[in-house]
Amino acid sequence: MSMVQLLQTNALPRRTTRLRGRMLPYLLSLPALLVCIAILVPFVTAAVYSLQRYRLNLPYLRGFIGVDNYIDFLSDPAFWNTLRISLVYTALTVVLELLLGLGIALLLRRPTRVHNAVSIVLLLPLMTAPAIAALMWKLMTNPSFGILSYLVSLFGVHDFKWASDPSSALFTVVLVDVWVYTPFIMILLLAGLRSLPRQPFEAAALDGVPASFVFFRITLPMLAPYIITASLFRLLDSIQQFDIIYAMTQGGPGDRLMVFQVQAYLEFFQYTNVGRSAALLMILWLITNILSNIFIKNWLRLRARAHGHA
Amino acid sequence: MARLELNSVGKAFGAVRCANDLSLIVEPGEIVAVFGPSGSGKTVLLRMIAGMFEPDEGDILVGGRSIIGAPPEHRGVGMAFQNFALFPHMSAQDNIASGLRAKAAGGEVTSRVNSISRLLKIEHVLGHMPRELSNGQKQRTALARALIGNPEVLLLDDPLRNVDAKLRYEMRLELPSLLRRSSAAVLYVTQDYREAMAIADRIAVLIEGRLVQVARPEEIYARPASVAVARLFGDPSINLAEVTPRAEQGALTAEVAGTRVRLESPDRQPADYGACWLGVRPDDLTVARTAGEGAIPARIVAITPMHERAVLLLRFADGIEWLAALPPDAAVGSAEDSVFVRFAPEAALLFDRASGLRIGLPPRRQAA
Amino acid sequence: MDHSSLAGRIFRGVALALVLVFFMFPIVWILMMSFQTNEQILRIPPRILFEPTLANYQALISGHLRTTAGNLEISFMRNLMNSFVLSSAAVLLALLLGVPAAYAFARFKFRLGESIAFTLLSFRFAPPLLVLLPLSLYYQQLGLNDTYFGIVWVYQLIALPLILWIVRGYFEDISPDIEHAYRLAGHSWREAFTRIAVPLAGPGIAAAGLLSFIFCWNNFVFALILASADKQPVTVGALAFVTASGIQYGQIAAAIVLSVTPTLLLALYAQRYLVEGLSLGAVKG
Repeated sequence: MSMVQLLQTNALPRRTTRLRGRMLPYLLSLPALLVCIAILVPFVTAAVYSLQRYRLNLPYLRGFIGVDNYIDFLSDPAFWNTLRISLVYTALTVVLELLLGLGIALLLRRPTRVHNAVSIVLLLPLMTAPAIAALMWKLMTNPSFGILSYLVSLFGVHDFKWASDPSSALFTVVLVDVWVYTPFIMILLLAGLRSLPRQPFEAAALDGVPASFVFFRITLPMLAPYIITASLFRLLDSIQQFDIIYAMTQGGPGDRLMVFQVQAYLEFFQYTNVGRSAALLMILWLITNILSNIFIKNWLRLRARAHGHA
Repeated sequence: MARLELNSVGKAFGAVRCANDLSLIVEPGEIVAVFGPSGSGKTVLLRMIAGMFEPDEGDILVGGRSIIGAPPEHRGVGMAFQNFALFPHMSAQDNIASGLRAKAAGGEVTSRVNSISRLLKIEHVLGHMPRELSNGQKQRTALARALIGNPEVLLLDDPLRNVDAKLRYEMRLELPSLLRRSSAAVLYVTQDYREAMAIADRIAVLIEGRLVQVARPEEIYARPASVAVARLFGDPSINLAEVTPRAEQGALTAEVAGTRVRLESPDRQPADYGACWLGVRPDDLTVARTAGEGAIPARIVAITPMHERAVLLLRFADGIEWLAALPPDAAVGSAEDSVFVRFAPEAALLFDRASGLRIGLPPRRQAA
Repeated sequence: MDHSSLAGRIFRGVALALVLVFFMFPIVWILMMSFQTNEQILRIPPRILFEPTLANYQALISGHLRTTAGNLEISFMRNLMNSFVLSSAAVLLALLLGVPAAYAFARFKFRLGESIAFTLLSFRFAPPLLVLLPLSLYYQQLGLNDTYFGIVWVYQLIALPLILWIVRGYFEDISPDIEHAYRLAGHSWREAFTRIAVPLAGPGIAAAGLLSFIFCWNNFVFALILASADKQPVTVGALAFVTASGIQYGQIAAAIVLSVTPTLLLALYAQRYLVEGLSLGAVKG
């Protein structure tokens, strides 16, 4: 029971101090509120830009054009390419990271000293700046001296061009994404696995239930909320991926890796087309907003359960 | 010192009324126990006085001044919490010293902390952190913290709930003199009627947000205001039977399990009372092998030896079960034996079945 | 679940080793590269054993790079300092704003509070460019473009939601009675906040601060858009450095090592809080 809730049940404050008590939470959160507004203003501005013909190099052409920017996308192959690449990138990274993360979490499930040490060491890629991680992999995949290029050549694959070849560029950035973010899924799932109640597993072991049955019928369902939370987290980040792709190839080769934010960035700074850039971002926002609403609901439920109520 | 006065205090949380027309005066140096089942609104009452939330209606006065709206730190109220609420990052010494609201000089703080901790026998653990203290030491530290500032009103929220039985027993003996020394007006919340009777000058019985009786402990025990109050005081709790008392030949009688027993009439002239509860405390029953006038035949169902007495579970012919608490040496037989149960007319309490109120002298709502 | 069978144990051991190699190899390899000369780096096949050199670090620290195209002045150390300044200032600002707000959200249930908390949370998941691009236009008008003040202000958008949600959980775990007790002992709510609530939530505040520092440090896109060369942090600086220095691979590797060392050390130091922070306290039991 909170003070304000209680205070609010009183129709009329009887003393000024009570009024002050009621204002207190608002005063305390005022700075955070101002920050909120400070974010909302450019956000609304972006929404307005997306309805304008607005090019930085042609300011006199600026004007309201309704949803024309959006309608233009429908017939624009570049937009469909962006949408497709973004979705493929997201699907690939999330699925790979989920499978790998789950596998590693299962490997490290028992809290032995070695397992804990490994799980701590695996934090390091996650704590590396993604843009820097991209540079690291760029060095390792350099065609003239990159260790990875050398290693694949040992297997008879010569002249593998990694990110600079359209056919392997997506694979390369996905690899970097997997390297950086798999530990994230692993950590969440490991925490989930270790918080599962023991009894179902002990009972299953006593009854001699086969391991595959235990995994698919007990472990996975009980872990499901954690899996959903972790994947939604990654889904939201992945569909907005910018750092790795920009640092690695700036969207290239050609338009091979033109995901939403990279495309929007180039629209803005290279083609100075603010309206189009804003419209692209609004579409991305719409997608993430739908996803994040699902996510926040799910996450709050998990959090409430972790706190022992609901 | 100042008296604490509650005037028709009311408080609701949504649809739940936790306090209803509460009026009570606690004199300086007096200890009033607020006793009631859990959820009866005891803690809400304390917290309204402490300023954690405000009443919807009524007024709370300390020394004649209303403290409604005043922040907790300006109310002259000290409080000891059920869960101790010690500051985990401060030593016992600093916990206690934090209670000195007047910014006393360093030397004075030390000497007052020392004297109060000597009084509470915790001077040897002053340097310890709360997590290093036993529950008993935590309790004493919390008490010292509440007492050291010499508050005008001292609120104790079930302070012995979380300490072990031995310490609870010791504290029951020590607390009254300790509290009286502070000459604060003390409100002492407890769920244990024995604790309330041992510590308090008066007991305020709180049931569902209402004060149903405020009186001296022995008065509440002897003349509970209602069946509900009678049930709360006493262990084993009071025996009840549905009766319809009648005035016969200048005496009041009632039929219990087919036997007509004499009751004492609260009026000069016995009268018919309609449907009633008859209440007799287990201690007031005597059990004998021999029949006689007003002796109710019963069977012993079970005998439970308890420390200083034996408790018999008795079943009457009509199936009603009563308990009798007897001295352990009163050998009246064993299970399955047939016996006869008696009680003195003045031991019988009569309650109106519809209202639950005791028939007799009107319950004294305000015993000053 | 078969822990005892030999084949199972071998399989688990091999799998664990592969996992370690995949995730650790890039870090180890780049670290080794940073101590090699260009000739050593370009040697085929690569060697595990080599004579380490500090020349790359010396060049970075002095700012004088010798490239095939001539001498180059690059202030990578300035990038490093910018990262420190921007991240620390942003975290301090976010703590100053976020801790009182987190306290308000934890102690009082009020509608505005939930709205703020959720707005900030949902912006954690909004495309950053959506806010940044219009903001860069505003900043140009306001003269905030390419100022530390302006960049810090945006940086703390990374830190604030994290701090709010983590610290809020810690405040919620403190029994309100402890604060009530302190106030009844004659202290104002402000004293109860600073002397009871904040010290007791201390570990959570420290963890949230460390984590948000790491996230600020690792941020790339904010500074890419708002900062010019002399205000850029290492993430953007390293990329510019790659473009500028061309084939000085040893120096690039050294720059990468310098860029990630502070956060990796912090991460190891604060690792037990990371789970909680990464999931915004989701799996706190």
